[in-house]
Amino acid sequence: MSATDLRNEVSAWLAAEWDPARPTKEWLAAVVEAGWAAPRWPREWFGRGLSDELGHVVEEEFRNVGAPGTGQDRHNLYAATVLTFGGDELKRRLIGPMLRDEVSMCLLYSEPDAGSDLAAVRTRADRDGDRWIVNGQKVWTSSAATADYGMLVARTNWDVPKHRGITFFLFPMKQAGVEVRPLHQITDEAHFNEVFLTDAAVPDAHRLGDVDRGWGVLQTALAYERSVMGDRARAGRGTTGMAEMGDELVALARETGRIDDPVVRQDLARVAALRLGNGWNNQRAKAEVEQGSSSSVMSLGKLAMSRLLHESARVRTSLAGARAMLEGPDEPVGDEANFLAFNAYFTSIGGGTDQIQRTIIGERILGLPKEPEVDRDLPFSEVRRG
Amino acid sequence: MPAFAVTPEQQDLRASVRRFLADRSPEAEVRRLSDTEQGFDPDVWKRMAGQLGLQGLGIPEEFGGAGAGHVELGIVLEEMGRALLCAPFLSTVGLAANLLLTSGDRAAQARYLPGIAEGGTVATVAVSAAGLPGAGVVARRTDDGWRLTGTEPYVLDGHVADLVLVPARTTAGVALFAVEREASGLGRTLLTTADRTRRQARLTFTDTPGAPLDGGLPAVERMLDLAAIALASEQAGGAARALEMSVGYAKTRVQFGRAIGSFQAVKHLCADLLLESESATSAARYAASAADEDAPDLPALASLVRFSCSDSFVKVAADTIQIHGGIGFTWEHPAHLYLRRARTSALLLGDPAFHRERYLRRTGV
Ligand SMILES: Cc1cc2nc3c(=O)[nH]c(=O)nc-3n(C[C@H](O)[C@H](O)[C@H](O)COP(=O)(O)OP(=O)(O)OC[C@H]3O[C@@H](n4cnc5c(N)ncnc54)[C@H](O)[C@@H]3O)c2cc1C
Repeated sequence: MSATDLRNEVSAWLAAEWDPARPTKEWLAAVVEAGWAAPRWPREWFGRGLSDELGHVVEEEFRNVGAPGTGQDRHNLYAATVLTFGGDELKRRLIGPMLRDEVSMCLLYSEPDAGSDLAAVRTRADRDGDRWIVNGQKVWTSSAATADYGMLVARTNWDVPKHRGITFFLFPMKQAGVEVRPLHQITDEAHFNEVFLTDAAVPDAHRLGDVDRGWGVLQTALAYERSVMGDRARAGRGTTGMAEMGDELVALARETGRIDDPVVRQDLARVAALRLGNGWNNQRAKAEVEQGSSSSVMSLGKLAMSRLLHESARVRTSLAGARAMLEGPDEPVGDEANFLAFNAYFTSIGGGTDQIQRTIIGERILGLPKEPEVDRDLPFSEVRRG
Repeated sequence: MPAFAVTPEQQDLRASVRRFLADRSPEAEVRRLSDTEQGFDPDVWKRMAGQLGLQGLGIPEEFGGAGAGHVELGIVLEEMGRALLCAPFLSTVGLAANLLLTSGDRAAQARYLPGIAEGGTVATVAVSAAGLPGAGVVARRTDDGWRLTGTEPYVLDGHVADLVLVPARTTAGVALFAVEREASGLGRTLLTTADRTRRQARLTFTDTPGAPLDGGLPAVERMLDLAAIALASEQAGGAARALEMSVGYAKTRVQFGRAIGSFQAVKHLCADLLLESESATSAARYAASAADEDAPDLPALASLVRFSCSDSFVKVAADTIQIHGGIGFTWEHPAHLYLRRARTSALLLGDPAFHRERYLRRTGV
């Protein structure tokens, strides 16, 4: 199919179907039904079997009219992970609802003793017939309070080195044995939680990948997550929308009467270059992957986004001036500066810290030698705890 | 062509330029030429034109060139930047050939472009980092034609140029003039540049005859934008090469019983430098394809890549010295050659702070 034919088909479909007033659930159902939700996936799995490049054509047409729901083959890390590693029955039952946003999800990875060192998880899963019994504690789990399922990494073998005894599950959250306690964040919000798991159960049919091979599944899921975090960030307090990150700093500089300040102007240009540069890196990464070469630029996105968010928050704070001493609805300029300065750490800590990202870039992209790891080949039961 | 798609022809171009430069511009040659008065090898210059057609790459076919675009030119400049090629290429092609093209003066194009394309003519434009185009020279009409008087303090390859294109002030604003090698009253003083791989000269004009060209200030501004993008490509190539040196050294230098690249202080620095270097490459390539498409925001993009690629190259080259430790502080090690190129090229054609301001103005802010 040519890009032009596809463009025409998508825009005709949107002209007939898209109405901003349409209820979201109903709209998403129509998008999934038509195969636009994940157009790069095969037809038997909700897609249209399009190349990556044509997938971008679909996304562009949706963007042009402001319609959500497509591009989930790139963004929906849950559906993508289930598609890659799940059994057919699980895929048939859950991918549709995931694409239609009918189930909500969370990531049960981090634990009190396993953050950057995720392979050190101690939550255990023990086999019991055709199900597994799970005990342990997770932490920093975003959206756990509302989630229907969590992507869970749990230890299933204690006698082998840490990377080789982990299994990956799609874990049902709504059951006795799951206790969720909200945590109070530096943004004064409570999106992330502690999750206590006590004799909770997950069917073996909800296992993604082989027993004890969960580390590989996790790498795929993390790659999706990091690529999403490199592409987008939250726009501001009180919205779950994604930042366009256009000229809002310029607008703020005008509003605050600082637009002629030469120091401010230098900062505005610097941030613009970071923002545009990230966009070009992402475009180039896509083009390189599309042309079949591996792209080193691909893995830089999250680190670049973190730098951009911290830097623009710094400039926003300097524009707010003394007003950044205040917070709350009576002082929206100060409030937003504080919110964005604090929330930037979501990107520089969540999904793997900037330090961990640099290590990954150094080792996997640049080929620099690994650090000595004292626990790499020890059976996990013999590894030292903090 | 969407930005960033690479054709097989473009891949071939990159490979053949890289091979040529590996052969003709290895570090030993760069160092040898840095110590000569002329600063480049005329034989290599001829071969660049004869074997590869590099000087004529972007010159239209009717004037002896290949009629290729800025993307192709960018590929060539990335490679030249990697190799620190000593040659008057940025001046002859990035400045002068571009100015002849943007001037729209067909007679001047027919007169000068074929010589540039075939590698016979070295050319430059008398614009300086220091001031606005035309700031230094005044042109006066006499019974005997136009006469130029004044000084341009930093002219790229001004010591060897066969052709100097001069923006000069007239009573009717800035106009362009062509001054040829033997013109009377043309004084050339070779300067001691911090970056010895690229020469500059102070040019003085004393009642020097100049042939008027079409195209005034707008032609110069347009040329400067195109040259900014060409220079950004060269900087991106230099940054990529400096980073390779750092990473290569970090893998082989052993201290405390480990390769230094296994220490996070070094590894993480390298990761940050990769982000700098790749961002410079993406920005330069994007701007080059925008130049080919004659994008309306080209002036803004040109200023943006001037400051962002300059800053990136300086950072990468500077940290490359640090990563090399003591050996990086020696004259014999190539790291400083890249830092000299980076620091100097950041100041050519307007420094980063100037272009940050200009970027905002050009985006209407
Ligand atoms: C807003 C937010 C949302 C989150 N949401 C979720 C979620 O939904 N699900 C989930 O599972 N997790 C989530 N996390 C957890 C997140 O993935 C971890 O916080 C992160 O991976 C770091 O782990 P840690 O907090 O244990 O810090 P640590 O691993 O203890 O790190 C502390 C410091 O040490 C540094 N450090 C650690 N190891 C190394 C090393 N090898 N080299 C260099 N430096 C190192 C780190 O960079 C950091 O600066 C979220 C975190 C945040 C901030």
